[in-house]
Amino acid sequence: MLDIVRVTLKGIFRDRVFHGILVAALILPLIPAISRLSMRQVTELSITLSLSLISFILLLLAVFLGGTSLWRDMERRYTFSVLSLPITRGSYLLGRFLGVALFLFLAALLLGCVAAAVVLFVSGSFPPERPIVWINIICAILFDALKYILLVAVSVLFSTVSTSFFLPIFGTISVFIAGNASQQVYDYVHSQAGQVLPPFIRSCASGLYYLLPNFSAFDLKVNAIYGVPLNGSGIALTLGYLVIYAGLLLSFAAILFSRREMK
Amino acid sequence: MAPTSNKAAGWLGPLLVSCTLMVCYALLIVPFADYLRNKPFVEKLGHVPKAEFLQLISADQKQLVGEALVLDVLMYFGGLVGKEDAKLQLPPDYQAMSRLLHASVKLDPYNMDAYYFAQSILVWDVKQFKVANNLLEYGMKYRSWDWYLPFFAGFNYAYFLKDYPQAAKYYMRAGEITGNSLFVNLAGRYLNETGQNELAISYLSTMANSAKNQAVKQTLTKRLKALEAVRSIERARDSYRLATGTLPGSLEVLVQSGYLQQVPEDPYRGSFYLEPDGKVKTTSNFVSPGENK
Repeated sequence: MLDIVRVTLKGIFRDRVFHGILVAALILPLIPAISRLSMRQVTELSITLSLSLISFILLLLAVFLGGTSLWRDMERRYTFSVLSLPITRGSYLLGRFLGVALFLFLAALLLGCVAAAVVLFVSGSFPPERPIVWINIICAILFDALKYILLVAVSVLFSTVSTSFFLPIFGTISVFIAGNASQQVYDYVHSQAGQVLPPFIRSCASGLYYLLPNFSAFDLKVNAIYGVPLNGSGIALTLGYLVIYAGLLLSFAAILFSRREMK
Repeated sequence: MAPTSNKAAGWLGPLLVSCTLMVCYALLIVPFADYLRNKPFVEKLGHVPKAEFLQLISADQKQLVGEALVLDVLMYFGGLVGKEDAKLQLPPDYQAMSRLLHASVKLDPYNMDAYYFAQSILVWDVKQFKVANNLLEYGMKYRSWDWYLPFFAGFNYAYFLKDYPQAAKYYMRAGEITGNSLFVNLAGRYLNETGQNELAISYLSTMANSAKNQAVKQTLTKRLKALEAVRSIERARDSYRLATGTLPGSLEVLVQSGYLQQVPEDPYRGSFYLEPDGKVKTTSNFVSPGENK
């Protein structure tokens, strides 16, 4: 399985999609100039922009690498040769997932270091009213990476049932948007204003809320940007949620992949 | 035909087309850019989806979208101030500005730019004190460490709404946050009719000094200059009354008797005068000609 992880990482570094996405990171050094547009929170804006850009790059990487990694193997009939080796389909799948996950982690680390330099530079010339809480920024980037690792698990699950790359890519994007909005929808239908909705819609919304991955829990941007204290137990719960939810997705994916007929 | 000329003809065609299109582009771009430059402001600020919808689709980029909305308003306003100097007067679309700022703080309730801008513009120019105070109240729930918000709210209550107990409450809160007795003093010292201008001047200099945006700074400084002019007249009037026991009939009396060196200029292009009860007024009413009242 470790070999699969290694091969996956090597493949990603050679991938042209990855190179294209990396170009987006070139915007990072432009952030100090853009941040000066703010009236009262230049440093805060530089953190906002850095985190937004990192999140966006990781989203692209997660969707395209996660969505195409398995599909391309099957398209090129590469799976045949791999699966003739003495490894189970499950561990092959897990290797692919871990390879992409490890890569996302490394990308977040690299981008995070550049972003830290950018924020440090901006805060030197525009000292913020409140001191920057670096641990919050590190946590925000780390949880961003974890969020996209969870998203990769979603795309792996889609890949195992799909014959083209449409479902893995567009399905993953849809799950991402829905998973970010689900908390808000849930809060709304359970508020006073939501009581006017028909009960059927309300129970549908609740059902989807528990079914879909909840990405809003991983969003620690506000804590990073404005130095709002982190909630320790909330973070622990989110980590537990990640492990269990990703584990569930991957085990379903392994079941489906083992039963799949390879043509 | 020889193969070389055939090859030449192969790229000559596209080259001709590219050249023609480039010329067309050069011809088109000037009127096109002109059209966009002169497009009415209302259209430029108008079409923004509802905040709830933006919240749903902006996924984990809420802070970015929130800031983008503020910057949108800022650019619009900056363009407007530029236009005013060029003597081209357009009524600003304050409603759209307010709508965008409200949407922005729904997406990111911590965004100080939005509160600051709302306070800079909405209270003085639109006189929407209640709206501004509600917005500030909302912000205080999140930015609990920020003394600016209660300071702004206290000012609105004292200066515009004449609700002194409420104003004192907010100044106290600002004082608690900073540990600075200035606010507590402000609450007590300036809350009478004659002190209103002092209050406004200290408030406006705080705002103007910390303004980084040129358009905002310009607006605030203009207002500050006008109020300082009023204060200088008020001081002369008070000395005159103290010395003679009567109110001066006009500003000219003050100048002739030496209490006022000269009648100060109104930055809003009006002229100052004295009301029969001694109040200092201006024909511009602190609004530039052409601006929405």
